[in-house]
Amino acid sequence: MGLIKKAVNWARIKSPWILHFNTGACNACDIEIIATLTPRYDLERFGVQLKGTPRHADVLLCSGPVTKQIEDRLKRIYEQMPEPKFVVAVGTCSCSGGVFQGCYNVEGGIKSVIPVSVFIPGCPASPKAIINGIVKLLGSLEEKEDKDAPRR
Amino acid sequence: MHDSDEFKIPLGPQHPALKEPESFSIALKGEKIMGVDIRLGYNHRGIEKACEERTYIQDLYLIERVCGICSHAHSTCFVQAVEEIAGVSVPKRALYIRTLIAELERVHSHLLWLGVAGHEIGFDTLLMYTWRDREIVMDILALLTGNRVNYGINTIGGVRRDIDARETQDILKGVNTLEERTKYYIEVAIQETTIIKRLSGVGVLFYDDALRLDAVGPTARASGVNRDVRRDDPYAAYGEIKFDVITDMHCDVYGRTLVRVKELMEAYKIIRQCLKDMPEGPITEKVPRKIPAGEAISRYEAPRGEDVHFVKSNGSEKPERVKIRAPTLANVQAVKHMLKDRFLADMPIVIAAIDPCFSCTDRLVSIKNLNGKNKKILPWESLRLYGIEWHKAHGIDMVGLNNSFRKRMEG
Amino acid sequence: MPQEDNVRQELINKFGYLQNCIQIPRPRRISVTLDYNNFAEVFDYAVKQMKFLHLCTITGLDEGENLAFIYHLAQDSGILLNLKTSVPKDNPVLKTVMPYFAGAEIYERELVDLLGAKIQGLPAGHRYPLTDDWPKGQFPLRKDWKPLGGKEGSI
Repeated sequence: MGLIKKAVNWARIKSPWILHFNTGACNACDIEIIATLTPRYDLERFGVQLKGTPRHADVLLCSGPVTKQIEDRLKRIYEQMPEPKFVVAVGTCSCSGGVFQGCYNVEGGIKSVIPVSVFIPGCPASPKAIINGIVKLLGSLEEKEDKDAPRR
Repeated sequence: MHDSDEFKIPLGPQHPALKEPESFSIALKGEKIMGVDIRLGYNHRGIEKACEERTYIQDLYLIERVCGICSHAHSTCFVQAVEEIAGVSVPKRALYIRTLIAELERVHSHLLWLGVAGHEIGFDTLLMYTWRDREIVMDILALLTGNRVNYGINTIGGVRRDIDARETQDILKGVNTLEERTKYYIEVAIQETTIIKRLSGVGVLFYDDALRLDAVGPTARASGVNRDVRRDDPYAAYGEIKFDVITDMHCDVYGRTLVRVKELMEAYKIIRQCLKDMPEGPITEKVPRKIPAGEAISRYEAPRGEDVHFVKSNGSEKPERVKIRAPTLANVQAVKHMLKDRFLADMPIVIAAIDPCFSCTDRLVSIKNLNGKNKKILPWESLRLYGIEWHKAHGIDMVGLNNSFRKRMEG
Repeated sequence: MPQEDNVRQELINKFGYLQNCIQIPRPRRISVTLDYNNFAEVFDYAVKQMKFLHLCTITGLDEGENLAFIYHLAQDSGILLNLKTSVPKDNPVLKTVMPYFAGAEIYERELVDLLGAKIQGLPAGHRYPLTDDWPKGQFPLRKDWKPLGGKEGSI
């Protein structure tokens, strides 16, 4: 049992599948996320793959302050992701609402709707910061995996 | 052949219990779209109201973030209106710097669009290479302004950073490389038979309809509508710069592609002129914190089309009213028209062709089949894949083009 | 500014009551203030005869007792004609201008949602930009509106 869990975790660390979701952002963080997948930054060499569906995703990459229109969909997408799942808030808006804090149609950051594992600040978060954040997440998974390993 | 009562979705989940509003509702008969209902508002953040509660300078930072891709457009459009009310004469050098950044933004935006359009039709190598080249512009913008996106170059009364001789040289070098690459893209991508076949006759909008539906930007210009705010209602330094307004008569997505690519070539010309003719002098004019009462309306040709800002001041530090009409909003009616009676498989590229600035990835499409009684809900990614598979089945396959393009770019 | 003066003169010749209601703050900008009773005929003339064929947008303003609306019309010459009119806030009824501009629909829906304008002639359709469950009678852009749930505008 422990061995299978380790293998699955290793696969997850080595090749996390990511779903990118925009919760009312201005698109700046979104284009920086896409930029991390293009040749200059090339997140894919870390085994990270962008998937189109929550059902296959390990990591939910969110950008944007949460608008009232998008809140339900965000919750539902989170619910559809299989465990274990991780949420990364990309950009200051998804961390705390950013410049849109206090605006009437904005909830104010992803954490007000779903639990967040990693916060990547920046306006927008640069591709380097995004990669840094994802690598940190993978690192913490590795740690977790070591902690959870059954004692021999 | 497709069974007319249902169509097969290659990948992607279906969400039978979805209660959230769909962005697009399509009535489908067989493979043809009979009606489209577009629902917007997902990005509504209440910016106009927030502007009334912040000072003009704070609003500058807020308004820059209306849209991250054309942030300079919104920032400049706003600042122009405020400067007009305040009666400020912005120094010429600042106007030239604004124009320079504006065209650099147009370059980054059009290259971005080329990549995204390629992705929507399955031409992924184009995405990779255009976005790789786009990094040249991002580097230039970061060099000049300190940030890749959301430049913060404007202040009320001018610009916040100057540009020196070394930066000028770097820009010229970058622009030369980009011009060469763009010419190459025109040659080996845009003029490829596969692309022409894939994009021609798709998303048709004839001249009269473009006028009637009041389309703006490259979407309108690709239907022969000769409107460009830079020439018709000049702002910043455009009154003194020679450039051509690009129009095209194809009236389809192929035309919109040609317009944007040629606008890239024009942008390089304008950037060189700006650098050559940039006058010496100060870069900012002091403006009091309290703006006298008045109103002004400012227009700007953003990469997507005409951007309009209306500002009303009341003598205090905070505006009375700020109204923003971003270009994509003006093109929504045209999109509905372009989709009617066309194949569902073309929906992704038709929408992408107006270069929409609403939320990219949340677009949910609900499809009601008029032949049967089913209603399916598709995430955008599934629709994109459906489009690519459908065209493959009809003889337009991107695999070959992806391979040959990669070979040519690397060889 | 000859072109702008010509536009002003033509409007005054056709509609005498506009005599003192037209300002030209700068090149390519003309502001006209008019009573809503006269709006329809001036709008029709500006669009059909004077060829102001592009509706940039419609700005709604809360002016205390009234709601004001500015229709921003542009001509190919680059001149922007701003037609400003107002209606009482307690009965802000307007007629749609969709027969002239199909694109006006979304601008008018925004006025309905955010300012509480009552626009006659709008076809059935989704509201924009607020959510379907937005409470009735709450118009965010009105000056006396406070955010719901006490989330004050924080800076």
